[in-house]
Amino acid sequence: MAGEVSALSQLVDSVESMKVDEKSKQQNAAAAADDASDNSSVQITCFSDIVNDVTLHFQIIRLRNQIYAWIGCDSAKLGRVYAAATTRPHNTVSVTSIIGGVSDNTGSGIARRIVLKTGLNVILACNIPKDSLMLEANAEKKLVEKLIDLGYTRPKAS
Amino acid sequence: MSVLEQNFPVVQKKLSVDLKGNKTDIIICSYDDHFLVIATQIGTMGTILHARKDADISVHPTFSVSVIFGKRDEPMLVACARQLIEHISSGTSQPLVLSLGLKDHSAETLKGIVSAVTENRLW
Repeated sequence: MAGEVSALSQLVDSVESMKVDEKSKQQNAAAAADDASDNSSVQITCFSDIVNDVTLHFQIIRLRNQIYAWIGCDSAKLGRVYAAATTRPHNTVSVTSIIGGVSDNTGSGIARRIVLKTGLNVILACNIPKDSLMLEANAEKKLVEKLIDLGYTRPKAS
Repeated sequence: MSVLEQNFPVVQKKLSVDLKGNKTDIIICSYDDHFLVIATQIGTMGTILHARKDADISVHPTFSVSVIFGKRDEPMLVACARQLIEHISSGTSQPLVLSLGLKDHSAETLKGIVSAVTENRLW
């Protein structure tokens, strides 16, 4: 009887210590996740897709408060660069051309719609030729899908 | 649609340095016709500058550097871009797009950025 009691109390002790270990494991995991997010505050994602015999390259650089994205169409030229973000009042989306001028604004629509759909602050570089609406639409779709997939989007304010 | 994962055409490097106690993330990308350098301490691209070597054929090269987005009243940022384009132009005539999102604009920080980028050059 005494042996059973001591075995039981040992069992209870070990179960209680197991719970404590689980808690510390969770705390360690949380701390590790925090460390990971501090150490890798910049994330780079690159991928390519072939759409109707055209190769589209995508490069997404995620900074803590901003996203830089590059879309390459069959080449690795930088292309035109636009900045887009929500601005006051009413969080309307504003776009401006940084490099390349506004005579061909293939990327500005993409940049604007990325901000509309994802709520992110975006710098977009894009060398898709103008008058390629299908290509532009495909590229935008792919990029937005990837941004959502990577979990970079901000929840929309109601 | 097929997905190509290998042989991405843009060469890039990512590193992190500590400059005067501020963690600085530096990303260097080499495109077909530009170099892009991002150095950030604040989590955004900050001020964006464009720098290129002028096309004159002369003994002493000249460079054009301008701020294209952001702070236009910080001469140290322009000086940093000027230093970097001079380093780049020893190897190639491609222009540079430099983005600096910094907490301080001291000479020490900017020198640190120039040396970190040149140590990890892609040109």
